[in-house]
Amino acid sequence: MAEVSEPHVLDQPWRVWATIAVMGIVLLGVLLGVLIIPIVQGQSAGIDAYTAICRALGIQAGSPARPQVVNRNPPTPVSQVVWTSDVLQILAEAKPGRGHAKVQEVCVSCHGEQGVSVSPEFPHLAGQSGAAIYKQLNDYRTGSRTHQLMTDIAKALDDQAIADVAAYYAGQSKRNPNPATLGPPPDFVTRLVELGDPNRNIPPCAACHRVGSGGPVETPILAEQREEYIVAQLKMYASGERRNDVYGRMRLIAAKLTDAEIDGLAKYYRAGFK
Amino acid sequence: MSVTAHGVAMAYVLTTFFIMGFGYFVAVTALNRPLPGVPWAWAGFVSSIVGVVMVLITVGSGQASVLFTFYPPLTASPWFYIGLVLVVGGSWIWCILMLSAMTAWKSENPGRPVPLAMFATVSNAVMWLWTTAGVAVELVYQVIPAAFGWTQTIDVGLARTLFSWTLHAIVYFWLIPAYIAFYTMVPRAAGGRLYSDTMGRLTFILFLVYSLPVGMHHLMMDPEHGNGTKFIQVLLTAFVSVPTLLTIFTITASLEIAGRLRGGKGLFGWIGTLPWERPMVLATGLAFVMLGFGGFGGLINMGYGMNAMVHNTAWVTAHFHLIFGGSVVIMYFAIAYEIWPRLTGREHASLAPLRLQLWLWFFGMMVMTLPWHWLGLQGQWRRVANFNYADPIIAGWGPLVILSFGGGLVLLLSALLFIRNLAVLHRSVIPAVGHPLYALAVHPPQRVPAALNGFGLWNVLVLVLMLLAYGYPIAQFVITPSPSAIVHRVQ
Repeated sequence: MAEVSEPHVLDQPWRVWATIAVMGIVLLGVLLGVLIIPIVQGQSAGIDAYTAICRALGIQAGSPARPQVVNRNPPTPVSQVVWTSDVLQILAEAKPGRGHAKVQEVCVSCHGEQGVSVSPEFPHLAGQSGAAIYKQLNDYRTGSRTHQLMTDIAKALDDQAIADVAAYYAGQSKRNPNPATLGPPPDFVTRLVELGDPNRNIPPCAACHRVGSGGPVETPILAEQREEYIVAQLKMYASGERRNDVYGRMRLIAAKLTDAEIDGLAKYYRAGFK
Repeated sequence: MSVTAHGVAMAYVLTTFFIMGFGYFVAVTALNRPLPGVPWAWAGFVSSIVGVVMVLITVGSGQASVLFTFYPPLTASPWFYIGLVLVVGGSWIWCILMLSAMTAWKSENPGRPVPLAMFATVSNAVMWLWTTAGVAVELVYQVIPAAFGWTQTIDVGLARTLFSWTLHAIVYFWLIPAYIAFYTMVPRAAGGRLYSDTMGRLTFILFLVYSLPVGMHHLMMDPEHGNGTKFIQVLLTAFVSVPTLLTIFTITASLEIAGRLRGGKGLFGWIGTLPWERPMVLATGLAFVMLGFGGFGGLINMGYGMNAMVHNTAWVTAHFHLIFGGSVVIMYFAIAYEIWPRLTGREHASLAPLRLQLWLWFFGMMVMTLPWHWLGLQGQWRRVANFNYADPIIAGWGPLVILSFGGGLVLLLSALLFIRNLAVLHRSVIPAVGHPLYALAVHPPQRVPAALNGFGLWNVLVLVLMLLAYGYPIAQFVITPSPSAIVHRVQ
C-alpha cells in the first residue's frame, strides 16, 4: 500500500505511456508521410524510392507523386535586371557626386543637369525613382528596350556608372506639382487612376504608381512627367513596340486604353498630384 | 488600414488583454491566495498599453497597412512591430506570473491537485511562451531590421514558416479561456457538477502538445516544404480535434447531470430543464452550435485535398470568424458577465438584456459567416477589397455579401449592447450575492499523477515534437538559402 502511494511509482506509467503515445503517433506520421506514401506514389510516377523520400522530406525539389517538369522552352525574360540583394547594394552605395560628373558629360544635353528635360519627347528625370532609372538604363544596355539615342549611350556605361547617375537624378529636387494651375481632371480619368476598370480588367494606376503603394520596385514616378512622353510610351506598350515590362503588365493595360484615356492620363500625370 | 486595425485589435489586443486579466482573476480566486509579483503584473500591463498606443498611431497614420499577419516582404513602420513586441512582452510577464503563482501554491499544498481552472490557465501560459517564439524570431531577426532599412531583402519562405509556428497555437491561446469556462464555470452555472476533472486536465494538456507542431497546415499550398513534412503536421493536426471532442462529451455529460438534477427525464428531456435563463448556460449552448459548424469547417481546412479547394478563399476568413468571433468571443462575454459582479460587488439588475446581447451575437455571427462560407466554396478569394459584381460570373455573390454584411451590423449592435450592459452594472445598486464560481467534479480529485498536475513531461514532449516537425523545415533555409524577396515598405 505504502509502495503504491509513493508519487514516483504512481507517476511512472503516466510518463511512459504518454511518451509512447505521443511518439507513436509521430512515428506513424513519419512512416506514412515520409516512407510508405512517397514510395508508393513514386512507383506509379516512375520515381525511384530514394528520390521520392528526399522529395517528401523537402531535401529535393518536386513532388514524389509527379515527375519533375522539365521546361524545354525556357521563357526569354523581358528584362535582364534582377533585384538581387547585390543589385540593391550597388544602388544603396551609389555616389551622386560621380553621377553628377557623368550627367554633365553625357545626359545633360537632353535630360538637363537638374533632370528637367529640354524637349517634350525626353522624360524628366528629376526626383525619379533610382531603381526605375537603373532598370531602364540597364534595359537599354542589354537591348530589352531600344531607342535610337539611348541604346548606344547606355552601352557605354557600366553598372556602377548607371547606379551613380540614377542616384544623382533621384536626389534632385522632389517633384512638386502645383495643383493650383490645374482644372479638375475628367471623372473617367480619376476613376482609372483610383479604381481602374474592373469590366476591362484594368487595375488602378495608383495601385503601383502612387508613392508607397506597393508596386514593383522598378515602378517609375509619373507625377510631373512630360505629357508627350507618357502618351508615346503608352502607345508603344499598346502596340508591343516597347516590351521591357515584367509580366507584360503595362502592355496588357495599355492595349485596353482608348486614345482619349491615354490622353487624359498623360495630362493627369503631367500635372502631377500629391 | 481598417482591416489591419480590425485584425490587430481583435486578434492581438482584445485577446491578450482579456486573457491576461482573466488569468490574474483565476490565479487569485482559484488558488485563493494573493497574486505574486503584483508590481510586475502592472509593469506588463503598462508595457502592453504602450505597445497598443504605438500600434494605434502607426496603423491610424497609414504607416502599417500590412494586416495583422504582416505578409513580408511588405513592411510597415518599425514602431508598429515594436509596439506588438511590447504587447507580447507584457504577456510574457503574465506567463511567468501564472507559472510562479502555480509553483508557489504547489509548494504550499504538496501533493494536492492544482485546481483545474488554474491548471488550464497555466497550460495556456506555457503554450503562449512556446508559440510566441516563432513570431518573435520572425519580427526580431527578419521584419524589424527590414522595416528600419538595415536589410533590403527578406526570406519570405522562412518568415512564413516562422509565422506558421505561431499561427495555429495562437488560436488555441484565444480559445482556452472559453474552454476554462466550459469546464470550471458552466457545470456550476447549470446547477450540476463537472463530469470528469481528469478529462479536463487531459484536454488542456492535449492542447498544449498538439496545437504547436501543426502550424504548417497553414502552408499546405506553399512550395518551400516537402509533402512528407506537411503530411506529418496534418496527421498531428488531426489530433487537435481530440481535446475538442473530449470537451463536447464532458461538458454535455456535465450539463446532462445538471438537467437530470433539475428533474429532466428521458433521452433529451434534461436539455429543456437546464437553466437557459442564465447567461453562462445560454452562451455555452450557443457556443456549441457555432463550434459544431465551425469545427466541421475546420476539419475540412485540415485535409490536404479539401484545403486545396478552399485555400485563400473567403471560406477561411468565415471559418475563423465563426470559431473565434463566434464560439470563443461569446464565452468571453459570458465570462465577463460572470466575473464583473465579483469584481465590482454589484449584481446585474436584470438578465434579460444580457441574454438579448448573447442571442444577437449568435444570430449576427451565423448570418454573417454562413453565407461567407458559401461564397468561399464558390471561389470568392480573400484579401481582396473590391469585386465587380456587375460581372455576370460573380453577380450571384452580391446578395450573399449583403446578407453577410447585415449579420455584421447585428454584431455591431450586440457589441454596443455588451458595453451598455456592463455600464448599467456599474450603476447597479444591488449588491453581488457571491455564489461560488468554480464547479466541483463528480469525483473531486484527491491526488493526481504529477503528469496531470504540472507541465514538465509535456514540455519535453513538445520540444521533441517541435524539433521533429519544424527542425528541418527551418534548418533548410540556413543550409540552402532560398532567393529572398525585396522588402516593400508600406508608407
